Amino acid sequence: MIKLKQITKSFGRQQVLKGIDLTVEKGEVVAILGPSGSGKTTLLRCINYLEKPSDGEISIDEFTVHCRKPNKKDIHTLRQKTAMVFQNYNLFRHKTALENVMEGLVIVKKLPKEEARNKSIELLEKVGLGNKLDSYPSQLSGGQQQRVGIARALALNPEVILFDEPTSALDPELVGEVLAVIRKIAKEGITMIIVTHEMGFAQDVANHVVFMDEGAIVEEGPPKVIFQSPKEERTKQFLARITPESAYSI
Amino acid sequence: MTVDLSFLWTAFVQLLPAIPNTLYITAVSVTCGFIIGTIVALSRIYKVPVLSQLGTSYVTFIRGTPMLTHLLLIYFGLPLIVDDLAAKFGWSFNSVSIPMIGFAYISFSITAGAYLAEVIRSGMLAVNRGQLEAAHSIGMTTIQALRRIVVPQAFAAALPNLSNSLIGMLHGSTLAFTVSVVEINAQAEIVASTNWKYFEAYLAAAIIFWGITILIEKATALLEKRINVYNRGGVA
Repeated sequence: MIKLKQITKSFGRQQVLKGIDLTVEKGEVVAILGPSGSGKTTLLRCINYLEKPSDGEISIDEFTVHCRKPNKKDIHTLRQKTAMVFQNYNLFRHKTALENVMEGLVIVKKLPKEEARNKSIELLEKVGLGNKLDSYPSQLSGGQQQRVGIARALALNPEVILFDEPTSALDPELVGEVLAVIRKIAKEGITMIIVTHEMGFAQDVANHVVFMDEGAIVEEGPPKVIFQSPKEERTKQFLARITPESAYSI
Repeated sequence: MTVDLSFLWTAFVQLLPAIPNTLYITAVSVTCGFIIGTIVALSRIYKVPVLSQLGTSYVTFIRGTPMLTHLLLIYFGLPLIVDDLAAKFGWSFNSVSIPMIGFAYISFSITAGAYLAEVIRSGMLAVNRGQLEAAHSIGMTTIQALRRIVVPQAFAAALPNLSNSLIGMLHGSTLAFTVSVVEINAQAEIVASTNWKYFEAYLAAAIIFWGITILIEKATALLEKRINVYNRGGVA
């Protein structure tokens, strides 16, 4: 179980997170929605300390980081319990698909090479890239790179996988293959937090939807409730704007 | 004009024994310069207090003054400091015990350090921040991330400039003749002094320098070929 308590974050004088409380149960798939600038990506990045929260507490099961004065070891442990899938994939450019997945297993988890290799091949096959083991990121399409990114995250057996707009840098044609992979691993009961603009996908895969605006959580609940009968005016506005009945009439 | 081809060959052969000195000076200055440059570049990138300001001043002063001046400053300045300290602490060691080539090693390392600091810094800055974040996200420590992810890519990005600096230091090593170190250039002068055929002697020196430079270029090309497996270039 992941618990965020009063997370705040300021860049200079601008407060971008205004005390976020969020509880994520084991196996839950959480979708975080909201307009750009609402702080959803910053929140996600705070969870594995790529962004340093100004204050608050992050707990994963019994382990807690106090964000006001964290020590290096705590941050390191937190990062080992989480994994991240980036908007721009961020695959290691000088390593092949296989090496990208193996890296964490060999260097961080200290698995023997052979074991790490077998596990990595298995994961790449799972995301449909069994035939691209020796390709470098520059030789892969965006969708393929993102699937390697997902395999790299899965390899570490994290308590939670954080997805930062995993499909927003992709050609529309390639979005489907990435969403299919995410959907597949969601079914396996891995805890996931996804920042996304894909409303249909959020509705379909998530079992907990969080709507954020201006650095705060406006409303949260099961997708049915949030998408069909939101309570807050701001949520209704947002949803009406991005899921109109007929999108364009020229 | 007639070129004495047989003396060109004689000079060429007589220059060969001076090659090690040239290579020593180049290798020592580039190696030490690389270490100095790495420390300076890292402290500037990570804005380490005091060290980064010192690094910035060092780079601007050294790049703002000629390499020959560094050599002369070290050659005349270092003995003063060493002898002062020797007198104060009663060492048996004094400036006379410093071999001539030592001055070249020290001063050229300082020169190379400043240029390489900028080369290394540009290489590090060429690596996307996302690479470091991705390494952190899979649980690597910063040291692991730098060593396994950032540095190899920075090296690839900096390779053309590194090769440039290496060639620059190779050619710059000729200045060591001013402190009586017999490297290729000084040897050419010695060889020519017997019969005043300076042109042939320096031509032989030029051929040797060119040859060494071609070797460096070939080695760089080989490394670049390996790197290009993953890096499909910038705008090209």
